[in-house]
Amino acid sequence: MIEAEHLSKTFTVHKKDPGLLGSIRSLFRRERIDKHAVRDVSFRVDEGEIVGLVGANGAGKTTLVKMLAGIIHPTSGDAKVLGFRPWERSNELRRQIALIMGQKAQLWWDLPAEDCFLLLKEIYRIPDDRYRANLDYLAKVLELKDQLNIQIRRLSLGERMKMELIAALLHGPRVVYLDEPTIGLDLTAQRAIRDFILRYREEHHPAMILTSHYMEDIERLCKRIIIIREGEIVFDGGLQQVVEKYADHKVVTAHLHKNGQAPPQAADVAPLGQVDTCNDLMIKLRVPRGRVAEAAAELLKRYPVADLAIEEVDVGTIIESIQRAKASLT
Amino acid sequence: MSPRLLWSIASVEARKRMSYRLDFWIHALVGLSVQLGVAYLITLALYRESGASSIAGFTLREMMAYYVLVVVIARVVTATEMDHSVSQDIYEGALSRYLLYPTSYPAVKYAQQIGAMAPALVQCVIFIAWMPFVLGVPAGISAGGIAMGAASVVVASLLQFMMILPIQAVSFWADNVWSLMVAYRIVSRILGGMMIPLALFPGWLRDALPWSPFPYLFAMPVDAVLGRVSALQWAQGTGIALAWCAALAVVTAVVWRRGDLQYTGVGQ
Repeated sequence: MIEAEHLSKTFTVHKKDPGLLGSIRSLFRRERIDKHAVRDVSFRVDEGEIVGLVGANGAGKTTLVKMLAGIIHPTSGDAKVLGFRPWERSNELRRQIALIMGQKAQLWWDLPAEDCFLLLKEIYRIPDDRYRANLDYLAKVLELKDQLNIQIRRLSLGERMKMELIAALLHGPRVVYLDEPTIGLDLTAQRAIRDFILRYREEHHPAMILTSHYMEDIERLCKRIIIIREGEIVFDGGLQQVVEKYADHKVVTAHLHKNGQAPPQAADVAPLGQVDTCNDLMIKLRVPRGRVAEAAAELLKRYPVADLAIEEVDVGTIIESIQRAKASLT
Repeated sequence: MSPRLLWSIASVEARKRMSYRLDFWIHALVGLSVQLGVAYLITLALYRESGASSIAGFTLREMMAYYVLVVVIARVVTATEMDHSVSQDIYEGALSRYLLYPTSYPAVKYAQQIGAMAPALVQCVIFIAWMPFVLGVPAGISAGGIAMGAASVVVASLLQFMMILPIQAVSFWADNVWSLMVAYRIVSRILGGMMIPLALFPGWLRDALPWSPFPYLFAMPVDAVLGRVSALQWAQGTGIALAWCAALAVVTAVVWRRGDLQYTGVGQ
C-alpha cells in the first residue's frame, strides 16, 4: 500500500547572523545552507498495518509523512501509495488518503462541524447515503453527536481533534497518516483517540502511519515501529524486537525488609550488574540477560528480600537512547 | 471543479463573512462612507475652484455618479484582495490542507472569492439604492448598459483574481509579499480608473491603457453602466480582458509549478 524507496528531502534554508548588523548584511547577501531532513529512506507498509514513526523533534518524521501524503516533493528517491506517486497529486489517490495533523487545524474555524463535513462531502464527492452512514458511525463512536452544530472554535481541544478525525475519515480513506494526533490532549482524550484508532483499524483495515512523542500511543497502537534519527532510519521492526536488539539487560528490583541490619553496599552488589539504586529499602540492578537468574538467586540469598521484580527495560527509554545515540545502530 | 462544489465553497465563504455582523456593518458604513465622502469633497472643490461645468466630458453630477459606482464596484471586484489569503496559505503552511483535497487549489480560492463578493454585493445595493434620490439618474444609464456593466464586473473579478494569484505565489520564494500587494493595489487603482477617471489621463497613456488589463478592473464596468462606452468598445475591451486572464493563467501555471517544488509546508 505504501512503498518508499531511497526517499530523500533536502531543504535550503537561509542563515542570518544575529543582531542588527546581521540583519543589515542579510539584506544584501544571504548564506544558504542545505538541511537534509530525510536521507535515503526505504520501507513498506501493508493494508491494516499501523506503523509508528518515532524520532526526536526535527528528525524528519513530518517531512516524510508530507512526502507520502503528496504535500511536498522529494529531492530524490521514489514512493508509491496505492500505486500512485503521491506528489503527482492524482485525484484518484487523494480520494483514498487522509492526513491528520495534531498541530494544525484542518477544519474551518468559523463554521459548525457539520457545515465543514458537508463541504468535504462535496470535495470528496461522497454519495449521500455513504456520507450519512459514515458520519453517523464516526460521531457515535467518538461521542460527538451533540456537538456537530457547534462552531469549531467553540469546541474543546479534545472535541476539535475528534472532529478532525471525523473530517479525515469521512470519505473512508485506505491510507491514513496520523501526525501527532494526541498532542496537547488530556489523558482521557488521548485514551479515547487511541481506542478509536484501534477500533477503526479493526473495522476498516487501512494502512496507517502514526507519528507521536507519546510512547503510550506507540505501545498501544503499533506492533511495528520505524525509528528515524537525523533523517535516517535506524530501526525498522517489531516493538518487541527493539527491546531484544537494544536492551541486552533486564531490570532486577529487590525491595528489602527493614530489619535493622546494615544497609547493603553498592560495591557488594556491583559484580551482579550495573547498580541503579542501592539503599536499605531497595536494590535496583541492570543485569545482562544471561545472568538474571543467578543475580536474583544471589540477592535472595544475601539480603532480606520482601519482593523481587524482573522487568524488561521500558521501550520508551530504549527508543529515547537510540534517538540520542550518535553512532549508527543499524 | 463541479458547479455544485463551487457553489458549496462560495456559500460557505459568504456565510463565514457575514457571520460577524459588527464587522460587516462597520466595513459597509464606515469604509464606503469615508471613501465616498472624500471623493465627494475633492470633486466638489475641483469643480468650484476651476469654475468649469464639465471636466473631461464629466459634469459634476456625472463625476459624482462615476465615483459612487467606482467605489462600490471596486468593493465587489476586490472582495478578497486585502486577505492575501493565497500568500498566507503558502507562508503559514495552510496550503497543505488544500493539496490533500481532490480538487484544484486556484479553483477553491476563486470559489472563495465569489463567496466573499456576496457581502460586498449587499453593501453595494445599500449604497447604490440611494443614488437616484441624491444625484438623480445619470443621462446615459440604460438597461443594456447595466447588463454590460454587470458582465464587466464578473470579468473584472476573474481578472483581479488572475492578477493577484501569480503575485501572491511569489510567497513560495519570498515568504512575505505584503509590499508587492500594496504596490499592486496602488498601481491597479490609479491605472484602473478608481482614483480619477481615465479620461483625465494624458493622451499617450489613454491610448496605451486599453492594451493593459487595468481599465477592465474598475473603469470599464462603470463606463458601461454610465453609457460611456459603445457595445463594440465594450466587446473589444471584454475580449482583451479575457485574453489577459488566459495569459495570466499560463503565467500562474508556470510560477505555481516552480513554486510547488519549493513548498515546505512549514508554518504555524
